[in-house]
Amino acid sequence: MIRRMAKVEIVGLKDTSLDVIDTIQELGVLHIEDLSEKLDKMGGRKRLSRMEIDPQASEHETKLNELREKIGEKIRELNPEVEKISSQEIQKEYHAIWSENTDLMISRVEKLLGEVDRDTKEAVERKEELLMELSRLEKYAPMMEKILPLAETVAASENMASIALLIERRFKAILNYLNEEIGKITQGESEVVSADVDEESTAALIVFSRRYLKEVHDFLSVQDVNQVRLPSDLGKKPLDEAVAEVRAKMAEIPPQIEEIESRIREAAKKYSVKLLAARNAVHDRLEAIKAVPKFAQTEQVFVISGWVPEDSVEIVEKTLQDKFGARVVLSVSDVRELEEEEGEEPPVALANNPYVRHFEFIYYLSQYPKYGTVDPTTIFAIFFPFFFGLMVGDIGYGIIIAALGWFVYKKWNDKPLASMLGYMLSIGGAWATFFGILYLELFGDLLEKAFEAWHIHLPLLGSEESFLKFPINRLESFTFMLLVTCGIGFIHISIGLVIGIINGIREGNKKHVMEKAGTLGALTGLVMIVAKMLTKAIPMPVAVAGGIIFIAGFVFSGIGGGMGGIVESIVGAGNILSYSRLIAIGLASVIMAQVANDLSRELWGGTFGVLMGIIVAILLHSLNLVIAMFSPSIHALRLHLVESFGKFFEPANFKYEPFKKSGGE
Amino acid sequence: MGEAVKVGLIAISAAIAIGLPALATAIAQSRIGAAMAGAVAERPELVGTAIILVAIPETMVILGLVIAFMITGLK
Repeated sequence: MIRRMAKVEIVGLKDTSLDVIDTIQELGVLHIEDLSEKLDKMGGRKRLSRMEIDPQASEHETKLNELREKIGEKIRELNPEVEKISSQEIQKEYHAIWSENTDLMISRVEKLLGEVDRDTKEAVERKEELLMELSRLEKYAPMMEKILPLAETVAASENMASIALLIERRFKAILNYLNEEIGKITQGESEVVSADVDEESTAALIVFSRRYLKEVHDFLSVQDVNQVRLPSDLGKKPLDEAVAEVRAKMAEIPPQIEEIESRIREAAKKYSVKLLAARNAVHDRLEAIKAVPKFAQTEQVFVISGWVPEDSVEIVEKTLQDKFGARVVLSVSDVRELEEEEGEEPPVALANNPYVRHFEFIYYLSQYPKYGTVDPTTIFAIFFPFFFGLMVGDIGYGIIIAALGWFVYKKWNDKPLASMLGYMLSIGGAWATFFGILYLELFGDLLEKAFEAWHIHLPLLGSEESFLKFPINRLESFTFMLLVTCGIGFIHISIGLVIGIINGIREGNKKHVMEKAGTLGALTGLVMIVAKMLTKAIPMPVAVAGGIIFIAGFVFSGIGGGMGGIVESIVGAGNILSYSRLIAIGLASVIMAQVANDLSRELWGGTFGVLMGIIVAILLHSLNLVIAMFSPSIHALRLHLVESFGKFFEPANFKYEPFKKSGGE
Repeated sequence: MGEAVKVGLIAISAAIAIGLPALATAIAQSRIGAAMAGAVAERPELVGTAIILVAIPETMVILGLVIAFMITGLK
């Protein structure tokens, strides 16, 4: 259901403006209309102008932005476990920090940041230093360990100098060139040895007579090769000592980091709630400041315009009256008149019962329905799980999907998308179990095989030839199920067309009503004719009436929607056939489950065979289960969004987003 | 012999009924999928729409499957 909205205008004396904005933000029900766009259209012929932020508020904005940045930095440094913090705790702290006086609020936040700094700055800086040191050592260690054995293979003496190089492996060939060139420079008193460090780099050590140190350095500097320069504290030591020291340091640092992290965790426990509350408070104050340019003003008064749910108008009016008396006035405009005369479209908010609310998931894939039209969420909440169950139709899969969905729903209850998906899956799973009983399917044909083993004859109700029987074998009763699914499709599409007619009546659009009613008539007539063709039980006059309705429907849809209306009627018949996917996808699932069982039975025999059989069955059924969760969901969604909603759905341009405080959420 | 030929023709017909639409669906889905991958990279909020659009050509193979089943049911 779409909530009824009221257009309100709040006019008050300018000295009350900031308090009024604060009150409105506290109430959290007004969807602000940006008046600046209207003012721009009015051009120079106006007494109203865009409301300006006063210089002090502008200073506050700058300061608050800085504080928001700093709070974010502190939260990142302390890295609190946000999911373990309750919103009530944050809300409590929020009220301790929040003040209508922005200066006071800023000073509270600054004081908090000062305390956090005092308790954590040193630890955070030390941790950063240690991490940098560790990463530096981690970079050198593998190189040094590779270079060390190289150094041992070449002659070491005081007269010899050495330079370590790190080169990419793909340029390894350059070492031959360096060997030749350095050999020329040093008159043969040099040696180049190398070893691969990892998949990408190779370490090389050039040992040469110290007399040629400058020449070799000069040569290497123009060759663009990466010389390994050890840090000064290690560079002066012999290579073996340096390697030992690097190893020792690398072992010492992690415990130190762990100790510092435990100190930071302690600080996080102390400050994270306060910091999150401060972040919310600063955010809310900034939002209030940013809203100001959307309002209008004259020399004496300010004007705030927006939308409020009709049932909340009274509370807004009463609160403003109690707080500001005659200095602030709220007026309500008639939404219908505004829509007709000024073409204004109210924002859309939905108000559905708890069951249907979980199915508002569909609006992650589509926009909200336009204000004034019918909200189709209830239709979706009824038909989506029904279609899902009809397609999956297996007791085993149904129970697993329902349990899995319920687990997701409970586990991630605070995450809207996950909880909605979980709930939808659990209801869909319940329907799949119901249809599983109708089809008597448990992980494919396991029950059927069990009945054979127990000498119980199927069907349990009716005979093989009966039109209606229990259980319904989807493979053998394919034609029956095809008719049932097309019948369901006709009902589903008809509901869409009826909603289209209601929308047309609400909008006063006669042509729209005629087009939808005509399409509905054409489809109904067609179904009556087809029904007569399929069974002799239907008398001939029904088919004749169907023919008349069919032609009349065509004419009506043509008058209402022109060529588009006629095409729509023809497409409608195709849309009904599209519902055959309800049985086709189910069949694919049944066959796959049977293949899993047959393969498992083939392997059965002996310990190894039994084991293999179980593994194959589990693997294939798991795969089928994943497909059974994914594919029917997509197709049930598609049947709504394309086939049914396509008959009536008009998307909204604006979603109701009230101006409110985060309130510590 | 005549019966065997009939069964064979029915099987071939069913295979064509499901096989050709499957190929057509695959071609359509590959193009839509590639286009939607690009669109989602630019605007991640389109992922839901992308899944629905990729599923649209599946109607062909589903109707193919229905026809194939009807053909295999012929005596």
